[in-house]
Amino acid sequence: MLQTRLLVAIRHTRIASFARQPRAIFAHQTTTHVQWQSYAVRVIDRKKETDISTYPPDLIRNFSIIAHIDHGKSTLADRLLELTGVISKTGKNKQVLDKLKVERERGITVKAQSASMFYEYNGKKYLMNLIDTPGHVDFSYEVSRSLAACQGTILLVDAAQGIQAQTVANFYLAFGEGLAVVPMLNKVDLPTAEPERAAQQIEGTFEIDASKILHMSAKTGLGVDAVLPSVIENMPPPLGSIDQPFKALLFDTWYDKYVGVVCLMAIKDGSIKKGDRIVSTHSKQKYEVTEVGIMHPEPSPTTSLQVGQVGYITCNMKSVSEAHVGDTFYRDKHPVEALPGFVPAKSMVFAGVFPIDADEFARLDESIQKLTLNDSSVSVHKETSAALGQGWRLGFLGTLHMDVFRQRLEEEYDASILITAPTVPYQIKYRDGTTRFIRTPADFPDIHTMQDNVESTMEPFVLATMIFPERYLGQMLELCTLHRGEIQNHVYIDEARVLLKCRLPMAEIVSDFFDKLKSKSQGFASFDYEESGYEASDLVKMEVLLNNEAVDALASVMHRSTSVVAGRDMAKRLREVIRRQLFDIIIQTAANGKIVARETVKQLRKNVTAKCYGGDITRKMKLLNKQKEGKKRMKKFGKVELPQEAFLTVMTKSE
Amino acid sequence: MVPFSLYVHWPYCTFLCRFCAFSKARVPAKGVEHERITSALLKELRTSLAPHKDKVLQSIYFGGGTPSLAQPRNIAQIIEAANSLVPLASDAEITLESNPTSAEVGKMRDFKQAGVTRYSIGIQTLDDRTLARMGRLHTGAEGLAAVDRARALFPGKVSFDMIFGFEGQTLDQWQKELETVLKHADNHISVYQLTVEPGTPLFRDRNAQRVVLPSGDLSAQMYESAVEMCTAKGFRHYEVANYAVPGSESMHNMGYWQGRQWVGIGPSAHSRFIDPSSNQRISSVRLPDIQRWAQHCEKFGHGTAKSTVISDEDAKQEAVVFGLRMLDGITDRRFAGISGGQSLKDYLHMDRVQQYVDDGYLLWNSADAKLAPTERGLEVIDSILIDIVP
Repeated sequence: MLQTRLLVAIRHTRIASFARQPRAIFAHQTTTHVQWQSYAVRVIDRKKETDISTYPPDLIRNFSIIAHIDHGKSTLADRLLELTGVISKTGKNKQVLDKLKVERERGITVKAQSASMFYEYNGKKYLMNLIDTPGHVDFSYEVSRSLAACQGTILLVDAAQGIQAQTVANFYLAFGEGLAVVPMLNKVDLPTAEPERAAQQIEGTFEIDASKILHMSAKTGLGVDAVLPSVIENMPPPLGSIDQPFKALLFDTWYDKYVGVVCLMAIKDGSIKKGDRIVSTHSKQKYEVTEVGIMHPEPSPTTSLQVGQVGYITCNMKSVSEAHVGDTFYRDKHPVEALPGFVPAKSMVFAGVFPIDADEFARLDESIQKLTLNDSSVSVHKETSAALGQGWRLGFLGTLHMDVFRQRLEEEYDASILITAPTVPYQIKYRDGTTRFIRTPADFPDIHTMQDNVESTMEPFVLATMIFPERYLGQMLELCTLHRGEIQNHVYIDEARVLLKCRLPMAEIVSDFFDKLKSKSQGFASFDYEESGYEASDLVKMEVLLNNEAVDALASVMHRSTSVVAGRDMAKRLREVIRRQLFDIIIQTAANGKIVARETVKQLRKNVTAKCYGGDITRKMKLLNKQKEGKKRMKKFGKVELPQEAFLTVMTKSE
Repeated sequence: MVPFSLYVHWPYCTFLCRFCAFSKARVPAKGVEHERITSALLKELRTSLAPHKDKVLQSIYFGGGTPSLAQPRNIAQIIEAANSLVPLASDAEITLESNPTSAEVGKMRDFKQAGVTRYSIGIQTLDDRTLARMGRLHTGAEGLAAVDRARALFPGKVSFDMIFGFEGQTLDQWQKELETVLKHADNHISVYQLTVEPGTPLFRDRNAQRVVLPSGDLSAQMYESAVEMCTAKGFRHYEVANYAVPGSESMHNMGYWQGRQWVGIGPSAHSRFIDPSSNQRISSVRLPDIQRWAQHCEKFGHGTAKSTVISDEDAKQEAVVFGLRMLDGITDRRFAGISGGQSLKDYLHMDRVQQYVDDGYLLWNSADAKLAPTERGLEVIDSILIDIVP
């Protein structure tokens, strides 16, 4: 199952670090300290507004921490917050900035948060703004927008694991933004730590001087004292002038049920305070500022925000859709030149989402709306399936993003949903010169259109970066080839570790590539990717027919070369999960209309309780009602009942 | 007069069968305390039957356990006590279950004198190895002999149980067994598929894969053979597991499937009746432990462990679920008696009923408003029920 697959993928990483650092796993245990819900209460019984106008750019550092998953980013953030007294040193602070349940459970950061700290160094008091970033490849979009609010970043590397694929990806993101990158080594107290080797890797791969690299253990606090001084000395202060008209970059936004839309902004010039009127460059819409403040780590009002500072602004914005991330804000009647802004988040994976119980549609609709308020990177379109009824086609940044969304829907909104197989955005080029994106297999042209009107079918590719011990090189090359990958190059980042670059169809990444990568490398390979354009590809639509009727929700698009094996596999596994009914069920899979496999679920011949007397009545009725409940969760297609597992068979492949 | 039934649970057995999920205990080393058990049964009987004096007893069923281990005079006491509280109908059916072991066969005449009118013998199988493996202390030949003897004493009123689907059994073996027992059959036969009930030794054996039972398709063929062969001999397949020469159906068991009221006495016995004081449908069960049950009877006059009210909705569901275990099905009249006037047509998912009628699984006679399964429908009735019952 896909969900399991992703969990397993994350667990692999966890196990790897567990093996090397038995106690590290406790860093991910869930404790709830801070909830957004408490926000309104705090705002209402507001304390006095803090005056931070005494911090000119010289005394400000805006920085982030970037790291591969599990390299200790959130733990370091906890220590810095403790060190500066933002949170008390109870020894219980675990991932304070990871506020979502799913983040704490999985030890990942999904939604970036930030926190301001006051720190005295060499007799001067500094305002240090830590802008947290997500660690997973799916959320690199969030990383880049967080980086736009920083001048520098700590590149945190696990001294035992060395640099990993996300370290590389994040480094280049930061480097591309022109940020000062300060590498630091974490977990140096581990018996397996090899700080010299990790430093060599950093020097060799990123060409940065690692001779004075900071060694620390965020977990024990060893060496953490030197982190902020290093940030102050090695990262530039923000640019800009207090005398210029107000200019700010909106880099993050969320919806709070009590105060509405909250905007996180980096002030590039001038200053802003409550009562000011500001204008969005994007929409030209005017707003009156109702509150400004810093995240400490809870929203704490300040008298003003000024050049170089990073903080939140509330201004009676009704909907998150008004808060266009990357937008430049200016003071009313004092327009400024807009900042470059961001390329909007692009959906890389689409999946159909349907309520298990059709009566739940309205409630689920509301839940999805609420959840997307705070995650505008999810694209939402209504979709109707003949098999599953009314639902949505949702676009995600990646499969982890999709799975996190599903988990949040289920846990935070108690939703019971069915997700169809994820599909990547294919392109169809028509002979008349038009191009169409395929969000769902249902959009795929039929055979006649393919023959008469389609010039070519295109599929999206990614450029993947993998880092692993050299002994796995053979298997990794084989894996890439098996997944239609084209090896670009491989280089040694030290005497024992290889960095492999490979161009792969994105569709391969959303199925089971990551899983296999982890299992074939025993968890040692790390992986990251970036988009790499489209290429013509011989695509087919794989359909599943039940008693000669195509089931739209089970359709998928795939490369012709994989269609025969996949078609047989799918039919076989559907036969395993479809229960016998009172008639034969013929399962067929067809690639572009041509049957590739056929299986039969034989008619149910006997289903009757053998013995039923007085004492059996209660039990029999209980059983009947349980079976009726189970049947309710089945999706009916014609007369054929499909259990939910049927939809998962399309998502995964057997070994 | 409202027909009423009594079930009497005799909890002891000389041997415990590996498939049996009924409440039972091996006869203790110092022997059964016959007087104590009988007196507890009588106490419970008086307490339980007293509110139903206005009814008429259509049937009494001695089940177990092994009621043929009871003393015939104790059986007589129970029948008399019941009759003195709720009068027995003139044609009342009084069944006693028996094992074919010689000791019990010897008591047959005494049981007849005690008032028993119908005899039900657990042959189960003719295969001696299977009998031994299942923990039964008799042979197939003894089973047949017991039937023959019972027929002499209870002509036209003898039934026996057969089980199919034992480990290693082939279709051919089963058909041969059936052919043999049918030669000895009286007017009634019960045929069950071996059911693996949770908590039984057989259940543990199967889960540990020490025992592999016939596949679903093979057991379906065995079931179908039974229907074919019994029907060919003039028996009617009146309920899933029961065959009778018309007129010889078990009245007592029909009561369960037709939603009749009954009171059960003895450890773990179930009851279903309408409480005359509250007019509520009650389902109750007695304590399963023999000692505790007896103590409660002595102290409180009954050993009831739990009593629940059955809602009208549940009662309607039960009426259909159990009614459709019979080839005669359920009539609107009988259903209306339970539903408070609602018709089957208004209660069931009739569109689905119609589909099953069209496909040959159900019969719906709108003239006399009767719903019944076809022979083919009966074999898969559990699949149909979850579809048509709301």
